[in-house]
This record gives sequence, C-alpha cells and structure tokens, in this order.
Amino acid sequence: MKKIFINLKRDTNKWSILLLTIVLFIGIPIIIIFLNLIYGPGETWGHLVKNLLSDYLINSFFLIMGTSFFTLLFGVLSAWIVVRYQIPFRKQMQWLLILPLAIPSYITAYSYAGIFDYGGYFEKIFNLKIDIMNHFGLIMVLSFSLYPYVYVTTRAFFLNQSKNIIEASKLLGAGEIKTFLKLILPLARPAFIGGLILVLMEVLNDYGAAKYFGINTFTTGIFRAWFSLEELETAIYLAALLVLIIFIIILLEKRQRSRIGYFNTVKNHQQIKRIQISKIKQIIMLLFVLIPVLFGFAFPLFQLIFWAFLTFKEVLTLDFLHIAFQSLGISIFSAIITVLFALFLIYLSKWNRLKYIKYIAKIGILGYAIPGAVIALGVLIPTLFIDKNIILFFNNFLDTKIGFVINGTVLVLVYAYMIRYLAVAYSPIEASSLKLGKSLAETSNLLGKGNLYTFKKIEFPLLKPAILSALILVFVDVMKELPLTLILKPYNINTLAVKAYEYASDEMIAEAALPSLFIIFTGILPILLLNKVISKN
Amino acid sequence: MKKYLLVLILLVSVIACKSEKKEIKAKSKEVNVYTHRHYKADQELFAQFEKETGITVNVVNAKADELMQKMSLEGAQSPADVLITVDAGRLVRAKNKGLLQSASSVFLDKTIPSNLKDADNHWFALTKRARVIVYNPEKVKAEELSSYEALTDKKWKNKILIRSSDNIYNQSLLASIIANNGEEKASEWTKGIVANMARSPKGNDRDQVKAVVAGEGDIAIVNTYYIGKLLNSKNPDEVIAGKGIKVFFPNQNDRGTHINVSGAGVAKYAPNKQHAIKFIEFLASKKSQEIFAKVNYEYSVNKEVVSSELLKSWGEFKEDTLSLTKLGENNKKAVIIFDESSWK
Repeated sequence: MKKIFINLKRDTNKWSILLLTIVLFIGIPIIIIFLNLIYGPGETWGHLVKNLLSDYLINSFFLIMGTSFFTLLFGVLSAWIVVRYQIPFRKQMQWLLILPLAIPSYITAYSYAGIFDYGGYFEKIFNLKIDIMNHFGLIMVLSFSLYPYVYVTTRAFFLNQSKNIIEASKLLGAGEIKTFLKLILPLARPAFIGGLILVLMEVLNDYGAAKYFGINTFTTGIFRAWFSLEELETAIYLAALLVLIIFIIILLEKRQRSRIGYFNTVKNHQQIKRIQISKIKQIIMLLFVLIPVLFGFAFPLFQLIFWAFLTFKEVLTLDFLHIAFQSLGISIFSAIITVLFALFLIYLSKWNRLKYIKYIAKIGILGYAIPGAVIALGVLIPTLFIDKNIILFFNNFLDTKIGFVINGTVLVLVYAYMIRYLAVAYSPIEASSLKLGKSLAETSNLLGKGNLYTFKKIEFPLLKPAILSALILVFVDVMKELPLTLILKPYNINTLAVKAYEYASDEMIAEAALPSLFIIFTGILPILLLNKVISKN
Repeated sequence: MKKYLLVLILLVSVIACKSEKKEIKAKSKEVNVYTHRHYKADQELFAQFEKETGITVNVVNAKADELMQKMSLEGAQSPADVLITVDAGRLVRAKNKGLLQSASSVFLDKTIPSNLKDADNHWFALTKRARVIVYNPEKVKAEELSSYEALTDKKWKNKILIRSSDNIYNQSLLASIIANNGEEKASEWTKGIVANMARSPKGNDRDQVKAVVAGEGDIAIVNTYYIGKLLNSKNPDEVIAGKGIKVFFPNQNDRGTHINVSGAGVAKYAPNKQHAIKFIEFLASKKSQEIFAKVNYEYSVNKEVVSSELLKSWGEFKEDTLSLTKLGENNKKAVIIFDESSWK
C-alpha cells in the first residue's frame, strides 16, 4: 500500500492530472450509466429473464456469428485480392469496396425490404417473391453494409506489409494459397480483428434494421424495457451488461494478441508485389469483389434513386437544403472535436507515467458500444444538473430568470457525439502511433525537446494520414447518427438522418430516400479521400 | 489544408451560434412544442398558426417516450409548453408522471367529447385512428368477419398478418381488450392470434397490407390512416396494394371498433401557458381538423367537421367509447401479456 503511494507521488506529472480531467470529462456520462448497476434492475427484470432474455441472447449470438463470418469473408479476401492480384478495374474496385460505409445500415435494410417487396424489382424481374425479413436476411444486410470496416483496416495493413516475408515463404516452397492461409492471415489478425470489433459494436447497437425485420436483439430489449415496460433502471442495466460483454471481448482479444505478439518490425517499405494471374482467375476474382459492392452499395442505391425519383418533388424544398447544410456543419465540427479528444487521450496516456490512469483512460472509448439513446441519457443527467444549478444561482443571487444555458445547444449534441464516436477516431490514430514506435519520441526527448514540441514537429506530421482517416470516419458516422440526435438536438436544428427517420417512421419510406441519398453522397466524397490517404501510405 | 480547416471551423461556429442565439434571446411570443407527430399536415398547421397569431412555434421532434424522459429530467426548468403524442397511452403516462397540467378552455370543453379527453383537462385528443381488419376480397367474405375476438378461431390459422408487439397501436388494442374483457381473456386472445399468424411479426402496417395482397395471409389488422397513405402513395405499386384490400370495422355488434388518438397537453411547467392553450385550440379548430382529415387521412375529433371523401367511402362505424385513460392504465399489463404469449 505504502509503495503504491510512493509510486503515485513519484509518477504523477502534469500530464497525469490533465489526462484525468479529460478522462472524467469524457467518462462521466458512461460512469453514470455504470453506476446504475449498483441499484440493480427494476421489478420487471424477472419477467424479462423468463420470457425474453433467451430470445435476445440467441438472436444476438446468431447475428454476431453470421456477420463476423461474412464481414471477414468479404472484408479480408477482397482486401487481399486488390492488393495482391492484377485484376481488371483494380483501381476502381479499391475504392468502390469502401462505399457501402456511406449508407446507414437501417437504410440498406429498408431498401432491401423494398427490392424484395410486393411489386418490388426482384418480383418484377424474376417473377418470384421471397421473404428476406428473417435472421439470414438481416445477417446479410448487416454484413454487406458493415464489411468495409474490416476491408479498410485489413487493406491498410496489407499495403504496409513488406514483400520480404511473402518472398521468403515462396522460396521455402509454399504455394499462393498456403502462404495466404498460414502466413498472411495470422499476420493480419490484429488488423481484421480491429475492424471486426467495430462491426460487432455496430451490430449490437443496431436498432432500426433489426426492429424492421422483426428480430429482437439486446438493443431492442433495452428500448422495450425503457419505453414499453417503463423501467429506465432495467434498460440501463441491460445496456451496462451489453457494454460489459463488449469490454470483455476487447480485453480477451488484446490479451491474446499481446501474447502472440505478431508485429512487423521490419522497417522496409517495399510493398507487396502484385502478381499476374490467368484470365479466368482474374474474372473469378473480379466477380468475387463485385459481390459486396453490388449488394452493399449498388442495389440499395438503385432502389433509393428509384424512390427519390418518385418523391423528390415533395421532399426537395429550400428547407431541405437548409437542413443538409446544418447536417454538414454539425458533422464536420463534431469530427474535429472528437479527433482532438482522441489525440488528447492517446498522447496524454503516453506522457503520463501512472499505469492505473492509463487503464482508466480506456473508459473513454466505451461509448461506441453504448446505444445512442442511452448515451443521450448519460449526457442529459450531468448537464441538466449543471444547468439547474446555474439557474438557481442566477435566481437566488442575481435575481434574474434565465433558461438553460448549455442544454438544448449544439455543444451538448457535439459532446454526446464525441463520447459516442471517440473509439472510431481513437483506433486508427492509436494504431498509427503504435507503429511509429517509441524510439522517435525518445530520441527527441533525449535531445532535450519537450513532449509537446516533439508531438508538433515529429509525430503530428507523421500521424496526419491517420488523423485524416479518423476525421472522415467520425464525420460519416455523425452524418448517419439518429437516436442520440433526436433526444439532444436543439430547436430549429435538424439533420438529414432525422429527416429520413421522420419519413420512415411514418411509413413513408420512399420519401425517406432523398435525405438518405444526400447522406450517402456527402459520405462518398470523404470516403474517396480516405482511400487516397490509405493508398498513399 | 490548415487554412481550409480554419475556414470550416469558423463556418460551423457561425452556424452553431446563429441557432443558439435564437434560443437564448427571450422571445416574448413563442410556444415550445415537444411532438411525436412529424407529418406534413402538422408543419403546414404550425406555419399557419405563426402567421395568424405572430407566435413563433419551436419544435422538438422525437418519440413520445424520449420527449417525456427529457421533460422529466428537465423538471421545473423545462422549456416545453405543449406535449403532443400519437397515442392515448402515452398521454395518460405523461399525466401520471406529473408532466402535464390542467388547461381550462371553453372551446376545448365544447368541442372535444368527454371520452376523448382527460377528466382533469390534462390532455385533449386531436385526431382519431381506427384499428381495423383489412381483408383480401377474393379469399374472404365480409360476412365471415365479426370481431377482434373471433379472429382466434381455428379457421384463421396461418391467415392473420399483424406487426410486432413493440408497436404502440397493438399495445393499445390489447389494453382495450384487457379493459373490456379482463386479463385472462386478453391472454387467451393473444395466444389465439399468435397461433393463427401467417408469419412471425415484422415490418410496419403498410407491409401487412402488402402481404395480404401478395397472398401471404388473408387478413391483417392495421390503422386506417395507413390505408389512406397507401392509396395516395407516389409509388404505383403501393396504390395497387391499397386498392387490393377492403376495410372491415370489427365489433359493430358490441362495444365498437377500437380507436386510438393523437393528442396534446399543456406541460406542467409551461413558460408560455396561454400560448400553449391557444395553440391546442388552434389545432382543434374546424379549419385545422379539416386539414388533418384531408392531408393525413385521420378522423376528426371535432363533430362539426365533415369527413374526407376517402374516409366516407369506408362507411360510418361504431366506435369503442372506452375512456382512453384505460389504455394508458393497462399498457404495461398488455406488454407483459404479449411477451408471455411469445408475440414478438
């Protein structure tokens, strides 16, 4: 005990204090949600366990297994194909494969329901009606809209691999397939698992698609407990359990990874050489990478364009353009703030020497696993507390009546986005900063330069691509965000996602197509930019 | 790059500040509306209200549950003046949570029938929707249908289409059955319906109608105004679906067809109470009610208003006059019965 205190005294520096402040700032809403665990669930918990929980668990389990399989299949294999083989349209396929990321998964779900609907395209073309609104349909919809997370991280990894190991493997007599299975795949594990964790969080967090398809998952349960059974404490209890499960998955993965310790230490930037293959193989591979692009992007997009064509006269107004503009502004602003905080967390953790705080700092990235509506609640509680006290102060001491100072402003909304999407900015920057290693910074420190100077002059320029990726990913996510925005958005401010939701929840799905298309197109440009950044490095 | 970033940040800050100013500046004439309704008809009416009275309407749009949560967290400082929900159960819940206050209005007293408003004037219904049976006329004759209860008969096995129990309209329907027939009968009813479902519940009300036309089942339970929306859809396939079914009003020989309402109440801590009452009166006025009926295919609560042609074409019907308060009181019981009967 005494030793701990000595360490505490010795290792505390200004960075520790700053870090702790920032972690608290980010963590309070999350901590508040966890604190509710102490109170336990409400009285309907028994009912939930008896009648519903097994259904939720089984459904969530199937979804996780199914989407893991298909996102890895499409994500990893397409990444390998476009990096390794000279196939037709290789350049175009590289970026086309990322595009499904621009379509919110609930919109993809709605469009597929439309395609296979009564009178939908599928029925018109094949004269056959099949039902896709089931487990398998949901798994496919989610996989096709989420595999880019795996694709992007894995491809970035392959591009950074040196060609030496592959050549060594070839020299030792291993064939192309054996090299891939025995060498490349294990090496790429940290990369695709990183992407997969993002996929799983999205899957567990999905509400719109699962609800529409009539499949009850953990998140459906959270809302049922909160709204239908009127027990907030049970809802928060479920949410906290969900976060706990995700946290355990992340920890297990981290542990195993560090035990195996596959890291490429060779600082050799000779990229993997592309190889020529026969025409037939080329065609087969091209067809394979076309599958996710067609199903994840092209088909839903066609359906949306068709709907937008039917309804644009009603939907496209001056007000609509105004909303589009507001949406863009808020998303850009939130992306910048989120990336700033990700940088704070990563670098302050590095500079501070207290181990415990480093672990505590991980709380900051849990927000991604918590449903947006629950985050909104976690944000409302402390901000309202502050607001009410400010109002009381003004009332009692200054004798003036004022309204809420911080609630109902853009700032609270951006704060909530930051908490929700910090993990999205954190992962690419952290990965990149790990790759830089310690030696650069240590050399600079030895030369008598401070941490801030080192960061500004050496690390920041090297991290630029990662920072840009982080900005783009957060931007696209905020553009798509819905439940949190609904609760926290100020008056007279609207986002495209909210507009799309308003139509969809009124069963006017065709009318929702135009705002959805706007979200998609504003997402495509930055995603193309992201592709450039990854390719350049 | 840096320059662009700076410009962007500036730009965004300007937008952000602009919107905040609007709020902080204490407008003398405004009404803050928390609403679950997000229809075109509403937006038209809000604009009309602003034009006529000069009172600015500030709108927060979200699900009723989330709005209520927000109001209760905001407490006495809540800026909300009016809460609008799309079902009676939520209004009752809002009253029980102490989120609303009594509003006295001669006009509202006179206009809105007593079963369609709160006994203490905490809320008032604005529009009505009937939850009806629709059927495929090629497979089912109207004579075969009678009541919600009769749908549990074995002859409807694999023939009934209805959406998930997550949906508030289903919850209210079951709440009305609990109020009319008791919990035990209600539980038997849900089990009977689940046994007769053509498929596991999925999609929305429109999807149930389409499934009837596609032949997945013979009958569906849906809200009337979705049929109006289908018939007036921009998508020709939806119009065909709307035309492919016929409407049947159940329980005409006993209590009447279940109706649900959307309605409004004055918030407990409304900073602009007078404006709030004026606003609700405006929505209940003949002119507004006609717009609800015409643009949104809802039934009017104002007796003076003549139904639209479409609503007339479905015919007159007897409504269940059960006090809407009962729907709110029985909502939680309904959800638990649904779960116990494995109605997804």
